[in-house]
Amino acid sequence: MLKNILPDNIYEIISERISFNAINEIRMRADKPIVLAIGLQRFFLSERGTTGNLKEAMSASKIMLEDIIFRASECSIYSVNEQIKKGFIVTNEGVRIGIGGDMIEENGHIKTMTNFNSINIRIPHEVKNCSLPVFPMILEEDTLLNTLVLSPPGAGKTTFLRDFICQLSERNYAFNVLVLDERGEFDINNGKSLGNYSDKISFARKKVGFENGIRALSPNLIVTDELGDEEDVEAVRYCANCGVNILASAHCDSIESFLKKPSFKKLIDEKIFKRYVLLSMRKGAGTIEGVYNENFSRLGRY
Amino acid sequence: MNWIIIALLFLVCVFIGYIFSLKYRKRYNFFRSLVLLCQKLDVEINYSRERLKNLFLNFDDKTKRNLQGLDKNFLEYLENNKSLEEGNLFKNINFLKQNEKDMIFVFFKSLGRSDLDNQSKELKNYEKRFEELSSLATTENKKYGTLSIKLGVVAGLMIVILLC
Repeated sequence: MLKNILPDNIYEIISERISFNAINEIRMRADKPIVLAIGLQRFFLSERGTTGNLKEAMSASKIMLEDIIFRASECSIYSVNEQIKKGFIVTNEGVRIGIGGDMIEENGHIKTMTNFNSINIRIPHEVKNCSLPVFPMILEEDTLLNTLVLSPPGAGKTTFLRDFICQLSERNYAFNVLVLDERGEFDINNGKSLGNYSDKISFARKKVGFENGIRALSPNLIVTDELGDEEDVEAVRYCANCGVNILASAHCDSIESFLKKPSFKKLIDEKIFKRYVLLSMRKGAGTIEGVYNENFSRLGRY
Repeated sequence: MNWIIIALLFLVCVFIGYIFSLKYRKRYNFFRSLVLLCQKLDVEINYSRERLKNLFLNFDDKTKRNLQGLDKNFLEYLENNKSLEEGNLFKNINFLKQNEKDMIFVFFKSLGRSDLDNQSKELKNYEKRFEELSSLATTENKKYGTLSIKLGVVAGLMIVILLC
């Protein structure tokens, strides 16, 4: 992973002295030390591995960042420009790279981003069975209840959803699953991580993906990540009205703050989601804090 | 026996002339293929936004043959985590002038480094410049390529006359 993207020396240090499995994020900022997020801690990258000493830390350069982005796009920036406009690119291994730089606007539309000055490489991990504890509460008599997974950024939403899809397949729940992968980061193992019953639509907006997917692929369940604005909420309502179940996620650090989000008011009032799973970073990414029903009564504590 | 040797010498002279003319034909075909390459890249990038590697892998055999290994050298660069070097890009290509090499090197170096609009503009710009080089190579091929063969024939005939 990342062999063709990172500079040789950085790749070698990480793979030989640290291990990619241990790392959640690699943050690189122009002319600043490279920071690694390992579990809940932050370290600098040094020639000898990790360090807390700023003097030993290796720095990233602007050219290095540009080269990483160029390599991550498989030497074809034009092919990922739509992603760059949204501030990230996703490699063919499902690694999402967040990008900071200067947005270029033309006629009120973002044209592209240039002058890259920081990147955040988020390394996906498969956490086998992480969704199993909530399985009995989401599945009732072999029917999946519409479920929304809530967590702050980086707390394991995508990992949870990915594992859930895989578990369905492994337990032979032959739901036709449509994975609407807006950012292309669900599939980290060439389709194997999404089980045997899933179809995938990538890089489409939720509205378009839901409509096309329901018409063309007749799914029983749609799985999607990071619901955010009104359009996403309308897409979910459309989906629920079509009789298709939904498993989705949204950014939120508690049930209380979720209830305050105006864009989700309709979904809450109409009780479209029957289950809410709250994740946190308390014991590492993917810690299940609780499962709630449509009235926000806690069903289980972990 | 003498006639056979004379005929052989004549053929050798014509063959040498032909070998000299090949260089001009290679240049002509090479620049024509570069123009086609720009056109194809422009269309494919605008239509499918396919990655460069796949585009280069899927070029037709004739274009690949006429590019004299330039496409292979560029593919090697795309596949390895290395920077693009002029020496590697023009490996086994010895019929280009330095200014032509410089221009082609900058072209390949700029490939894939900009967004769709700018990449398309750059391709169109380079297409024009390669067309100019292509028409120069066409003139060279017509002039010197034919001349080389003719000189070969003339030299062969002179040897025949001298030996007879």
